[in-house]
Amino acid sequence: MMKKRYQPIVYKNGKRYFYRFSAHQRVQHVILFTSVITLALTGFPLRHAEEAWAKPLYYLMGGPDIAPLIHRAAGTVLLGLFIYHTIYWMVGFYKNHIVKLKQNNELTIANFFREVLSMEMVPNKKDLLDIIHLWKYLLYFTNRPPRHERMSWREKFDYFAPYWGIPILGPAGAALWWRDEISHIMPGWVLNAAYIMHTDEALLAVLFLFFVHWYNVHYSPEKFPAATVWLTGYLNEHDMIHEHYNEYVRVMIECGFEDDIKPQNFGGEEYEW
Amino acid sequence: MINRLPVSIVMQLLLVLFSLSISPIIIAGDELNCALCHKHRGLSRINNEGEFRLFYINQELFESGPHRRNKCKDCHTDIDRIPHNPAKPVDCTQMCHVVEPSGNKKFSHKSVANFLEKSAHGKLDKNGNPKPHQEDYPSCKSCHDQPFYRPFSIYKGKKIAGISERAISRCKSCHTSGDFAEDFYEHVTTRLHKSRYSVETIEVCAKCHQDEGFRKRHKLDDVITSYKETFHGKLVILGSEKTPDCIDCHVVAGENTHLIESQDSATSASHKNNVSTTCRTSECHSSAGPMLASFQTHVTYDRLKYPMQFYMLLGFKALMAIVLYFFLTLIFFELLRRLFPKFSFFKEKKIDDYDDILNEIKAESGSTSNTDKSSQNKSPDNAQSLEDIVRGKKD
Repeated sequence: MMKKRYQPIVYKNGKRYFYRFSAHQRVQHVILFTSVITLALTGFPLRHAEEAWAKPLYYLMGGPDIAPLIHRAAGTVLLGLFIYHTIYWMVGFYKNHIVKLKQNNELTIANFFREVLSMEMVPNKKDLLDIIHLWKYLLYFTNRPPRHERMSWREKFDYFAPYWGIPILGPAGAALWWRDEISHIMPGWVLNAAYIMHTDEALLAVLFLFFVHWYNVHYSPEKFPAATVWLTGYLNEHDMIHEHYNEYVRVMIECGFEDDIKPQNFGGEEYEW
Repeated sequence: MINRLPVSIVMQLLLVLFSLSISPIIIAGDELNCALCHKHRGLSRINNEGEFRLFYINQELFESGPHRRNKCKDCHTDIDRIPHNPAKPVDCTQMCHVVEPSGNKKFSHKSVANFLEKSAHGKLDKNGNPKPHQEDYPSCKSCHDQPFYRPFSIYKGKKIAGISERAISRCKSCHTSGDFAEDFYEHVTTRLHKSRYSVETIEVCAKCHQDEGFRKRHKLDDVITSYKETFHGKLVILGSEKTPDCIDCHVVAGENTHLIESQDSATSASHKNNVSTTCRTSECHSSAGPMLASFQTHVTYDRLKYPMQFYMLLGFKALMAIVLYFFLTLIFFELLRRLFPKFSFFKEKKIDDYDDILNEIKAESGSTSNTDKSSQNKSPDNAQSLEDIVRGKKD
């Protein structure tokens, strides 16, 4: 969205790096994971109060008097970020897509939805084909991994995970926070529902982040101990080829490096990610 | 073992032990010097029913308990000779020889026992007939093992555990005997808050209410486990003293703690008409509305009793299983794929080819740019020309 300020390719120590995320987006990610980790550290000792680790961790986070305050503050930050981010992409969408349509006098409902579907985070048919292709590759039916565009289906799933998690966790958390006030307008069993929504969706979110997201950015052999793209905003050529080959070729041609385009099995490792 | 030894040897041994040991603590009410024998840790026997009975009195514990001013014979009334004749179990409701200073009457726990009889824990039903499974109903000692005083002091708005020297110094100016002042201080301040930690209260109730046989006999849910599932239970386990335990919700505010009634009784704190009052006492959800009463506290996730919770939980677990199994299987196969990166059943010949991408780009840009792979041969290596190209493209 704010792409124009960033070079598609930069050089550092003679190596190519490909633009992924703007500083604005990276700051949002830092706020996101800081608040989520804080929420998990102040919430899960309560969820698993009977485990041996729960009490020391809970008291480290402030105990029964302070930890709930921290939890609620972090929840407010996360909900604020969620709303901010939604406005952020809507403004970007308006600037980059709607204004162009307006200028050309092409703003119809069909065109509007076409533009919505063309946004980089929206899942499309290629993502489905990529998933099928990936399974073919993983089961040794082909030697070519899928070629992803700028955003792979996994990144799209990661992106939409908060969009399904926060609308469940946020209102349920708010209901449990203002349980006395809400009982004037809603029956008490709503809190029973909110309790299950809040604790079980949180478990799903944390398990997904810990096992799947952290595998993608921490544990997987080529990323261990940590990927750096969330800090620098730029991805190295090796990972770019393995993770976003279509985008790689596209950017290389756009920048005039067509003859330098490396094959997909560059480096001899034919894996994906 | 002891009862198999000749009695005379045991007696001799005990006498030697007595003569060697001098008790550092003298039990206050021990006029008859019962501690002479009962201070010994090994004082025990196996009775005629084969039960092991320990007769040792831990003097330190006794001294910290509420009965420390009582004489042994106040409770153990029918013991009058050594060695003792078989004695009756202690009856807590009898008049004991402590004179209650407020009314100059001999003290008895009878009134407490009356509350218990009226409660769900009483042995008789409304018509005075014995309830089934009499042996399951609690006596005083089922819940009250040796309790400790938990005195506390409030000084400058701070609650501190233990006796406050500053507070008790005021008592001592008149009640010159320090013992009395301390006893009275502990007696009062212990009753200003809960005499047990909430975790202990739950353990007391769990002794029966978590027992599977007991629950089956009386057709009761596992209320202990379902309580521990709530935020109330979880916070109590984590050491919070501000969250309610069993007694806080099951005793009507201002009623005697022993009057825990069945939810079928109209005067019970847990009767469906009274729940909203119980939840909204001044200490708890005082600003809540009456609709809070429909909150379900003891949720067992039983499909028929709690369908909403059952299906919600099932839904979330299924979602979790689908998402995690999908991705974890993927990760597993990805790691497996790395073992033989070059192997494949079917090899694609044109693996290094990206004509399809070029065609796509051509189609998008309306084939204005000459992106034929073979005809191109420019390699701008310096950054200046790269920037120009990028700018040129953008403009």
